[in-house]
Amino acid sequence: MVRLSIFAALLASLTATAQAADAPAEIKLGTLYASAGRYASISLPVHYGLKLWIDQKNAEGGVYVKAFDKKIPLKLVAYDDQSSTATAATLYNQLITQDKVDILISDSGSVLTSVAVPIARDHKMLLIDQTGTGATFFTPDNPYIALMADPVSSIWPKPLADFLTHDGPGLGIKRVAILYATNDFTGTQANAVRKFIKESNSGVEIVYDQGVPTETSNYTVLLNNIRASNPDAVVHLGYAANDIAFLRNVQDSGIKFKFLFCIYPGTENELLEKNLGNGPLNYVFTYVTSSQMAYPTNFGMPLKEFKEAWHKKYGDTKVEFGFNSVAGYTTALVLEKALATAPSLDQLELRKAIFAQSGTLKTLDGPFELDPTGAQIGEITPLGQLVLDGDHLKLVTIWPHELANGKPIYPRP
Amino acid sequence: MPRIVRHLLLIVVPVVAVFAILPGVYDNHLLLFNFIIFMTLAQGLNVIYGFTGYLPFGYVGFFGAGAYGFSLMVMHLQAPPLVALAVAAAAAIVLALLLTPLFRLSGAYFSIANLAAALAVLQVVSNPNLEGITKGPYGVSLNGVFNPTLSYATALAVLAATLALVIYLRNSHFGMALKAIREDPISAGMAGINVVRERVIAWLLSALIAGLAGGVFAWYVSVFYPETVFSVEFTIFAIVFVLFGGSATVTGPILGAVILYGIYNAVGISTPQYFQLIYGALIMGLVMFLPNGLVSLLQRWGVDVP
Amino acid sequence: MLVYSLLAGLLFGLYFSLIGLGLNLVFGVMRIVNLAHGDFLMLGAFLAFWLFTLFALNPVGAVAIAFVGFMIIGLPLYYLLVPRLLRARDPEMLSFILFFGLSQVIEAVTTIAFGTSERSIPGDQLGRAVTAIASLFAGHPVAPGPVELFGQTFPAAWVASSIASGGAVLLVYLYLYQTRLGYLTRAVMDNRDEAIATGVDVHRVSAIAFGIGIGLAAVAGVFAPFILGSITPAMGGEVTITAFAVIVIGSLGNPLGTVLGGVIYGVSYMLMQSYYSSWANLLPYVLLVAILLVRPSGLLGRRVRNA
Repeated sequence: MVRLSIFAALLASLTATAQAADAPAEIKLGTLYASAGRYASISLPVHYGLKLWIDQKNAEGGVYVKAFDKKIPLKLVAYDDQSSTATAATLYNQLITQDKVDILISDSGSVLTSVAVPIARDHKMLLIDQTGTGATFFTPDNPYIALMADPVSSIWPKPLADFLTHDGPGLGIKRVAILYATNDFTGTQANAVRKFIKESNSGVEIVYDQGVPTETSNYTVLLNNIRASNPDAVVHLGYAANDIAFLRNVQDSGIKFKFLFCIYPGTENELLEKNLGNGPLNYVFTYVTSSQMAYPTNFGMPLKEFKEAWHKKYGDTKVEFGFNSVAGYTTALVLEKALATAPSLDQLELRKAIFAQSGTLKTLDGPFELDPTGAQIGEITPLGQLVLDGDHLKLVTIWPHELANGKPIYPRP
Repeated sequence: MPRIVRHLLLIVVPVVAVFAILPGVYDNHLLLFNFIIFMTLAQGLNVIYGFTGYLPFGYVGFFGAGAYGFSLMVMHLQAPPLVALAVAAAAAIVLALLLTPLFRLSGAYFSIANLAAALAVLQVVSNPNLEGITKGPYGVSLNGVFNPTLSYATALAVLAATLALVIYLRNSHFGMALKAIREDPISAGMAGINVVRERVIAWLLSALIAGLAGGVFAWYVSVFYPETVFSVEFTIFAIVFVLFGGSATVTGPILGAVILYGIYNAVGISTPQYFQLIYGALIMGLVMFLPNGLVSLLQRWGVDVP
Repeated sequence: MLVYSLLAGLLFGLYFSLIGLGLNLVFGVMRIVNLAHGDFLMLGAFLAFWLFTLFALNPVGAVAIAFVGFMIIGLPLYYLLVPRLLRARDPEMLSFILFFGLSQVIEAVTTIAFGTSERSIPGDQLGRAVTAIASLFAGHPVAPGPVELFGQTFPAAWVASSIASGGAVLLVYLYLYQTRLGYLTRAVMDNRDEAIATGVDVHRVSAIAFGIGIGLAAVAGVFAPFILGSITPAMGGEVTITAFAVIVIGSLGNPLGTVLGGVIYGVSYMLMQSYYSSWANLLPYVLLVAILLVRPSGLLGRRVRNA
């Protein structure tokens, strides 16, 4: 009897050491970030969000990996691409071929993600796409990509378009003006808004529709022309710097549009408030991103806790807390789930594990849901309006009705 | 044996051999490919700057024209890669021809005008109104021609041809005529050199080199935004590599590209936040203390550098 | 729409005249291509930002500080960089690259020091200054906010910067044509070798011109947060190219030429924004190349070295 149990114990310990011998000493995560250049302001918060999770997990002894049934520490291999796509391409290649990372995570934004798509595919590595929403990335013949934290550009503006076409006519909105910056991100959103409005047959018509170069920093004349077209609603789709210049020009010229929508007052709230103050942002409609709305979660820190952890760790850096910080952390949570459920570290097994989360995982970024090509269709950002309450701006969710906690103030006083 | 042949064996063969073998031992092929592209661009710039003294600050315009020439052929006509490459070269040459009136200007004016021209081409190509043709700001995505091995080999062939061309220039009447034009165009004209014609030929050759490089680049990466192939970074690197190594020589730009691009990648990977600072300071130090490049040190000691 | 674009272009263009003024002086006197011009403008903008944020100093006050401060920086910078450069075989081309390196260094240091996020100064700061001046002229208090001109409203900041620009042009004009130093500067601009031959201390004249040029760039920078929306360390590059377009369209060495160049640029840009908005950024480049090919000496004509 004793001999049998000794034998059993020996056998068990042998298999245990055999399994432990299989397990790598660390799980290597490879990613890029931009510390300078055009995309630094959307890249660093995402990177820091990811790092926060890594540091948290390593403090607990590592992340649980089902493939080896133990906690394994994480190692982050991160390079700086300086917002240059050529450099980024070389560096993505470096991560895969030289550093041999276990998991490949893209830099933030469509431009710096775009170069990774063919490289990942060529090397048969799953690209963990954090916030690159370019619709062309997701095709049925490429399984090596999954979008973590942003809705894909072609459906992102649906809440905005739906509000304008469903509630709009009842409020008196019939004429819409669209001004967008001509790049992949905002250009695709402008196309989507146009398409949704045209297909709605709601009587809402587009009376002004112009694209301007992304480097535009002066909108005074454009604003004058928009005003001349007498719109009931104005939609501005640009990057943060465009929004700042646009809103400031609106205020400087004294124009008051009845309805004004911009992307970044919701997405990078701290940055815009720092640059503009409360005045220009009052009554502005924007996306209610997960950094503004506390979604119910079934995994990971909820918004309040995450925000506190962020400010504790990064409060005295120059990197602002905003939606992009949440995006990095969301990526991390999906990875945590994937590692905890995938039977091996094989790229396609990881993909299966990630897709298995679609429809069930709920993080602080909202419900995680992927379409078959890997595009994110769950973490939709509702439409909201910023309203001054005392001396700070409150974001009121307006659409969809199920999530709304207030009524829109239209037209603005 | 004649100098040209000797230089060909001494320079072209080792360089090509090294870059043909390296992909077998070093996996980051894209990095090696970029080395080849930058060496090619540096030599192309060398042809026009080193030999004629004109500094085209918009040199990347030809590179981008080549990339888009290649892409348009593949996207709209499904052309085979080598045909598309020929069109890439043609696109760059056409652009160069359009810009030849700029030669009426001197020095700084020429450079600025050339820069403005390149930026203008970028604006045109990335305009959403041209989306149907160039895909505007949404970027190019080439299907069906992706072939890293073949495009790498072609890039290597382009580099070899470029090196051979520069060796020829260095050792021929044509090259000497160009240098004479650089030193003093009026005297050169009086000595019977057709200043305008020789300069235009050098200009077109320089553009051709950049156009081929651009076409091969488009072939290899197959996905890019307009800003990528019109990035002023390409021009800056080419200029700095040529200056650092030494202009009007064959080995100068090679040395410059290998050393500086190597440093760029090493520094970029280890201390990225100071990278731009180091590079900027390096450029300043270069101009102040070593304006004739590394090979000038060797030449000072009497070594005849090819 | 047309009238508004024209007037807006005029005001906007005058700001670019201010930007080009310093560059004009530097290039005209030394034939040095200051590719770091936009970065000095950026430094002036950050100076105004920090003076406002830390000391609540109104940007109008920052103008004087910026000019004097950068002029003081410009003098030793000149002596550090330029004399050595002029001894090389091809100083004009090398200056291109040297100052490009300088612009990279400035941008890198500023990024390391301040980070990459956008910064702004509230618009009403300049507005207050404008209304103060307007009240003086009108004799009665004028309400803050947009300014009305010929029945169209424009941001107060634009009017303020146009006034500053006009003032700067006037001062430079007076300097060049009414002071002895300016007289010597014009001599050097005309023909450097002859000036040396007649015993002019070319380095001193050039250094002062360089200092003034950079000082003017910094002054233009003070207005940048208002005209250009927000400021980041990377904003310098595009400003430099536009500044070159402006001085080339006008003509070298003549401050009035820069005014003309700026106005032409501003009006055309605003018209493009109104009618062909997505092509608006193509304009300065096309103008630059066209002028250089058709009338290289600029619209006000001044001899240009031809190849």
